[in-house]
Amino acid sequence: MADAVAERPKPITSRHDPRFEVTLYRYVGVEGAHTLDAYLEHGGYEAARKALASEPGQIVNTVKASGLRGRGGAGFPAGVKWSFMPPVDGRQRFIVCNADESEPGSCKDRYLMEDDPHQLIEGMLIAGWAIQATKGVLYIRGEYWHAYERLTGAIEEARARGYLGANVLDSGFAFDIVVHRGAGAYICGEETALMNSFEGLRANPRLKPPFPAQAGVYGLPSTINNVTTLASVPHIVEKGADWFSAMGTDDSKGIHHVQISGAVARPGVYEVPMGISYREIIHDLGGGPSSPAKAFIPGGTSCPLFPYDDEHLDMPMDFSAVAKAGSMLGTGAVIVIPEDQCIVDAMYNVTRFYAHESCGKCTPCREGVSTWMPQMYRKLLSGRGTPEDVDVMEDVAKNLRGTAFCPLADAAAWPIQASLQYFRNEYEHLAQHGTPLHPRKDRWLA
Amino acid sequence: MAGVKVRINDATIHVDPGTSVIDAVFAAGHDVPYFCSQEYMSPVGACRMCLAKIGAPRKDRATGDWILDEESGEPKVFWFPNPMATCTTQVMEGMVVDTLSKEVKRAQSGMVEFTLINHPLDCPTCDKGGACELQDRAYEYGSGLSRFEFDKRHQEKHHALSELITLDRERCIHCKRCVRYFEEVPGDKVLDFIERGGHTYIGTLEDGLPSPFTGNITDICPVGALLDSTSRFRGRNWEYDHTETTSLDDPGGAALTVDARTGRIERVKAGLNPEVNKTWIDDGTRFGHEYVDAADRITMPLVRRDGELVPVSWEEAAQVVAAGLSKVDPKAIGVAIRADATLEEGVAATALARQLGTGRLDHAPRPPASVIPDGAAATMSDVATSDALFVVGDPTEEAGIVDLRIKDALKGVAPPELMAHGVPIADLRLKERMPRKAEILTVAAPYRTSLMKHAGQAHVTPAGGEAALLKALAALAAEQAEAPTEEPEGDASGASAAAWDDTVGMTREQAQALLDRLRAGSAPVMIWSGFVSADPDADEAARTLAKAVGAKVLILGPMANAYGLERIGVLPSHDRYDYASMLSGEAKALILSQLDPAQDPKVAKRLGELDLLVVHTSFPNATAALAHVVLPARTGFEKEGVTVNAEGRMLPVRPAPVEAGAAADLTGTVKRLGEALGVRMDGRSVRSARRVLRKMLNVDPAELPAAGQLLELPRRASRRARALRAVAGAEGRALVVPSMVRIEHLDRNPKLRAEHGDAALRLNPADAHAHGLTAGEIVILTVGGLPRRLRVVTSDGVPDGLWLVPALPDQPVGLYPADPSALRRARGETAEVA
Repeated sequence: MADAVAERPKPITSRHDPRFEVTLYRYVGVEGAHTLDAYLEHGGYEAARKALASEPGQIVNTVKASGLRGRGGAGFPAGVKWSFMPPVDGRQRFIVCNADESEPGSCKDRYLMEDDPHQLIEGMLIAGWAIQATKGVLYIRGEYWHAYERLTGAIEEARARGYLGANVLDSGFAFDIVVHRGAGAYICGEETALMNSFEGLRANPRLKPPFPAQAGVYGLPSTINNVTTLASVPHIVEKGADWFSAMGTDDSKGIHHVQISGAVARPGVYEVPMGISYREIIHDLGGGPSSPAKAFIPGGTSCPLFPYDDEHLDMPMDFSAVAKAGSMLGTGAVIVIPEDQCIVDAMYNVTRFYAHESCGKCTPCREGVSTWMPQMYRKLLSGRGTPEDVDVMEDVAKNLRGTAFCPLADAAAWPIQASLQYFRNEYEHLAQHGTPLHPRKDRWLA
Repeated sequence: MAGVKVRINDATIHVDPGTSVIDAVFAAGHDVPYFCSQEYMSPVGACRMCLAKIGAPRKDRATGDWILDEESGEPKVFWFPNPMATCTTQVMEGMVVDTLSKEVKRAQSGMVEFTLINHPLDCPTCDKGGACELQDRAYEYGSGLSRFEFDKRHQEKHHALSELITLDRERCIHCKRCVRYFEEVPGDKVLDFIERGGHTYIGTLEDGLPSPFTGNITDICPVGALLDSTSRFRGRNWEYDHTETTSLDDPGGAALTVDARTGRIERVKAGLNPEVNKTWIDDGTRFGHEYVDAADRITMPLVRRDGELVPVSWEEAAQVVAAGLSKVDPKAIGVAIRADATLEEGVAATALARQLGTGRLDHAPRPPASVIPDGAAATMSDVATSDALFVVGDPTEEAGIVDLRIKDALKGVAPPELMAHGVPIADLRLKERMPRKAEILTVAAPYRTSLMKHAGQAHVTPAGGEAALLKALAALAAEQAEAPTEEPEGDASGASAAAWDDTVGMTREQAQALLDRLRAGSAPVMIWSGFVSADPDADEAARTLAKAVGAKVLILGPMANAYGLERIGVLPSHDRYDYASMLSGEAKALILSQLDPAQDPKVAKRLGELDLLVVHTSFPNATAALAHVVLPARTGFEKEGVTVNAEGRMLPVRPAPVEAGAAADLTGTVKRLGEALGVRMDGRSVRSARRVLRKMLNVDPAELPAAGQLLELPRRASRRARALRAVAGAEGRALVVPSMVRIEHLDRNPKLRAEHGDAALRLNPADAHAHGLTAGEIVILTVGGLPRRLRVVTSDGVPDGLWLVPALPDQPVGLYPADPSALRRARGETAEVA
């Protein structure tokens, strides 16, 4: 046993590792990469051919073995989710792709869909085969017009050449994809609200259970995955589960895409192995803070922020490690907050977003997130706040945590709580003096 | 004990698997606050008030044994990290629920604070005050203080969703009960949330609430956001006398709560009867009460002196009646009561007829065919749990509750078992937007009914063709019962392939599919009503068909107590002596209760020639105008007694404290007449009538169980009376159709009339065009002798050449002659049409 451990090569946890190579994002940014011809040139749809020749259960097992976890934020193991589908019983089954990428800071799916849409189509096709769903639903964020055009164009191309349709690749498997544009609601990124919205209903999250596998789109068995999750599948099928699981940590395997923004020299999307440290992300990939930083958000605005210190910078990007430190890996959108940015102002910006996006279904979110919190921030920022207001905010945030119907209220409460935990002094300063510790300045003129 | 063991605080109880935690909490005698859950509706978990700390033991994945607590050796309880909404959580074996800890109280009071943020707290001016769930829960579970110091959301405070319902959008706490109600209960999606987040409000897509079951949302609204416009601002909840009674509006027998104050009915709400109406009533029943205290109510007996009706005392009026009766040959006296009289009144009428020595006794309207099934009778619960339904007629209008119970069946979820605290609050079997099994329902009617859009098979049959349809179906069923394997191509049953389609309104294949479904069903039910009962042949064929396919039967009679009055025999001693004969000139003296036959000018002429006409009525009408004596009658809200609904269920009718002058029901009338005649008759009081009923039915009407008492079917089918009228023939065919709204009271119901409009003449747009009629205009059309003032409504749902007219009690449903060429447009003109 000990020998086996010794023999196993060290997992890839750094982009500097020479074994690491960019896979999903390899052709992103390459002129003309979105066409079917370009995709076929570098071996496109070979994985689908391979998958369609094997048993669906085998694909599910491969994905399970790869350790692929959902890239939409929650990180649920994809293969396990697929295995929740009930046995085939003649009912229509759906593979749904959640392309409603709305978490502030996130943009990994967008470039993938714009520049390499066939990767996603192939991923949906393989996933569809694995769970025996003949219909793919691609719910894309309404603002992603360019991605929508590229995707619909790619789907038409694929259909015309037999990669989609009644008889995919002469395998006898019928598979097609419907693309549906959202109308601008963050809540549609929540899987059941997305399904409601797709069905033409009000975008409110549904009660779970039943989970989508039992009753998803139109009450029929459905599986829903994020764009990057699905786009990873062809590579896993082609290169094997071991290729994927060779990267990352025990808990989180494979590759992820960090989206760095905020006060960094080189903001952008970077494909990285899981387990990479935040220091490497911010310093080596992002080029380091463009002005002294005091905090960073590890995975999109709904994740509690971390102070910009060694302890948190050396933390590996790993679902459990980040969770242990009190935040979430989320979508991998890293936002660096500079020292001279008023944290209250920054959090007001975040709060305004969630206030605007609350769907209104449940009480704490509608009243707490959407009505109360932004007014508290406005009061504080306008200089009329009192120290008691800070306590009230803390208490309200506490009341929001874990009481709402869906995670949106948590997503709104977490960053507030974290900012109070680490930067309470800024709140108190505002409450006592009526002016922020770091006055607002125009970054465009600076 | 069987079931799942759950510990709620300190109490350990066993509940059925699948029960929600909130119901387990209530069953254990504990309490949690809730706003969004509602009996008979899907739990949604939107208000987040019912939070509790929940824990459960876990099994070891590897061994399958419970993970034990190291200290106690008991299964270890793993607590969920967050407080859970108990309404959407299912019980698990060994689950532990904590509703009392500080942590839970904090979560609940936090939720109260959130809920009250945008609530205006205008309780002093709110009708719901004193009966408000939010008020109660805020007192019980809130901190009493609000830390929200900003402007509350300002929205419309008096938004009329319809003429009958007013929405205060500021008070709304977004529990979604009303939105869910419309989708889940009547299946009419007319309300939804608009906007999102803190701006969310309730609204409709188009103006109004196009559903006949809108009023129920005012009952289930946990705050004062949805109010019944008829009762708004009329009183405070603690001032009302609440009377639990039964609706005498239709044969459904829905439970009601009548709220009265200072002698006047201010509001009618749905009562709870899990076996009958659950907690729902239709709008006709709910909003139809305003006629009761209309200004022209008769409150004193009136006697004609020198051609004028003058008020007198009861004694004097009774003396006049007794004196008049003594001058008439007993055989020429007739007694007729309306079919929504109580059983006690039926006993009184029977006793009076017997005392007078006449066989001319009847209740009206009474269809020629019996309204009592002779085989297996279906209850409302049978309807709700049926898996194959065949409906002939329009139950939505005839007994709205039946319509809702049919829709229960479409959901395929049996009514919940009652728990220790009553109806389960959160029945987890119910879901939002459940798929409906439309295929189990077949509806046939002579026009497009509102139930048809929920039916898998819907057939608009030729008017008056019920007999042809049912006979053809019965013949087909009989034929196959003899040779079930055979599939004859040519039709031997008399109806050719073409005839199937044309004369019966359904093809042979459709008929076959219907029969197959009814036969295959494990609990098939047939429901029919006026259109079938109007034709004895159709009725017989329907009964034959039901027996052939093994279906239970529910027959909807024309009025509330038609079943009961037929059951206790308020019937003529011979067909010749029926109500029609009384009006045809054979009778010399008539005692009529709540009937108004003189609307027909020909009948009025004959009534004018009577030696004695005694009219027992609540309101002046054409017949009272001819009467020698007018006796003030109580309405259905003022009587004490029992009624029998279409299932044959005896239900209590209790008097609300309403100021009705000297009005008396028929038992009181018989008592006074008896005093004048010097005799003591049965039915001279409710008590004496009940002695008779107890003997006759073997049920004590004074001691009814909460859900009412199902009567046993009579040993022998009741006698069939001859058809009351000739069918059709005249040019232009008018179909008198049932109406949920009582047309005879419409003029005295301002709010209901504003919503419903005048009585409508519904016809096809092409027909309207052909006759030069435009929608909305008022016309006078004589239908079967009765001149009717009607508002023209055009509808695609009416077949060509058919004129739909809503029924009056004196004109039961069915086909009538009407002459469109004699139609008048003028106002108030009552032209006589031959």
